[in-house]
Amino acid sequence: MKKQITKYYPLIPVYAAYLILFLIGVNVEGMWQLVAMLLFYCALGQAFNIFLGMTGYVDFGYVAFMGVGTYGMALAITRLVGFQGLGLGIIVIGFFLALVMSSLLSVAVGAVALRLRGAYFAIATIGVNEGFRFLIEGAKIWNGTEGMIFTAELNRILGREAASALSTFWADVMVLVIAALAAFVTLFYMRSKIGYALTALREDEDAAKVMGINVTKFKIIAFITSSGFAGLIGATSWALKTPYVFPPEVFEIHYTIEAIIIVLLGGAGTLLGPVIGGLIYGISKYYLSIFMPGFQLLIFAPIIIVIIIMFPEGVVGMLKNRLKGTALGRFII
Amino acid sequence: MLQVKDLESGYGSMQVLWKPSLEVKRGTITSLLGPNGAGKSTLLATIFGSVEPWGGKVIYEDRDVTQIPTHKKVDMGIALVPEGKHLFPNMSVYENLSMGAYLKKALVHKEESLELVYSLFPRLRERRNQMAGSLSGGEQQMVTIARGLMTKPKLMMLDEPSQGLAPKLVGEVFETILKMKEEVGLTILLIEQNADASLEAADYVYVMHEGLIKAQGTPAEIKQSADIREAYLGI
Repeated sequence: MKKQITKYYPLIPVYAAYLILFLIGVNVEGMWQLVAMLLFYCALGQAFNIFLGMTGYVDFGYVAFMGVGTYGMALAITRLVGFQGLGLGIIVIGFFLALVMSSLLSVAVGAVALRLRGAYFAIATIGVNEGFRFLIEGAKIWNGTEGMIFTAELNRILGREAASALSTFWADVMVLVIAALAAFVTLFYMRSKIGYALTALREDEDAAKVMGINVTKFKIIAFITSSGFAGLIGATSWALKTPYVFPPEVFEIHYTIEAIIIVLLGGAGTLLGPVIGGLIYGISKYYLSIFMPGFQLLIFAPIIIVIIIMFPEGVVGMLKNRLKGTALGRFII
Repeated sequence: MLQVKDLESGYGSMQVLWKPSLEVKRGTITSLLGPNGAGKSTLLATIFGSVEPWGGKVIYEDRDVTQIPTHKKVDMGIALVPEGKHLFPNMSVYENLSMGAYLKKALVHKEESLELVYSLFPRLRERRNQMAGSLSGGEQQMVTIARGLMTKPKLMMLDEPSQGLAPKLVGEVFETILKMKEEVGLTILLIEQNADASLEAADYVYVMHEGLIKAQGTPAEIKQSADIREAYLGI
């Protein structure tokens, strides 16, 4: 039993970081906006890490799953608004729909693209979000280019006050919950046979195959899990926080790039990495845009290059290697 | 134990195997010789399933396994030690070996397999906590063979195990292969460029060229035939 618990020690620093963030946001005047943004980046990193970090495959189409999740929530709200009896149940259905739709898309994409390796996989996925966006716009699916605005529907379902509390506070809390959940799933995978299989295939896919590991199966498991979380993040951060959805916004590739940066900064394949990466990325982005508006990217790029050169395995990756075998090392993986 | 009948496969539209057939008898070392590009590695990969067969049959323990996926073949007791040092560089030697016992059937025997492996390769016991990527070339080759043994195979296919090793180490590798046959009771299918050493160790030899089996026989027969030696083996 004790061993069972010590297995989950590495969650402590992750959850402590989230708790501190939350407390700062709630107690310090004017900080919630920053905290909300940081939570979004941490959640994004945590979700993306399950795939990129654990398999070593780079998915450039990741944002598509967030976009589809956003649509899932939007569809639930706009189509079910007539059923007043459902109340909050509509939001629950929205989450469910977001999860199902993003997972289904990931199965479809994964079944084709995961047959490719390394750079070929990355190239194949670049087209996914663009393709999906043009499909929605061109075939006029879900209102096509007009998108959906559902502020009024959300007000009708929850009442004006609750809807506004949702978009300014509770949606961010939900993102926090999703991030915490993603961290738990990551550690659960790491500590199970799935994690060993994924580590092996990340190190050498051919060797993993020779060990009798069904590499395709485990790649797909990681892909679906990661994409499902992306769908949930989209449903919360994008659909509930800002009650509208436009294809060009939710299929914007720069979110994928941000996710990649966060994971690499913090340390791919580590548990704490995406949190640290999210914090470094979010804080620098926020303050650079305040103090040097317009120049943030110019300054940000060299910062990232310096960090990557100094810590090629990410900040947490470096920490993990330093602390290996020490008492602290048990908490940081 | 293993029969290959008219196997065909290739990459894209390029056919590599043109219906070679061979048989590996239980408890023997069967060696596959031939020049570069003869299709030897492709033949092993097709038997193993990592390259998809286009036609023909692979029969293992009287069962048609042609279309069975790779991970199930490992479970059935077929191991492939791939060419080049395909190991997990950022894992320790012990962790590499443990990965070999990934499947349930192998995991049950993990401790005894470890003992066996350490007795065959005492060096690996000394180095068990070292990162595999930091080992010397010869030691890395030991790890890949040892990791193959950890899957608890009955048939072991080795793809150029002595590639890139110093002559002294080549001798060690062949000694190990003989031990695996005699002491562990494995059946071995071996690809080698090193024709001399291979003819020494093998019970039966197939000579492959351009995707076909061009000759076969006992090592003595192959050695006697000047034609075969000159045409395909260069010795």
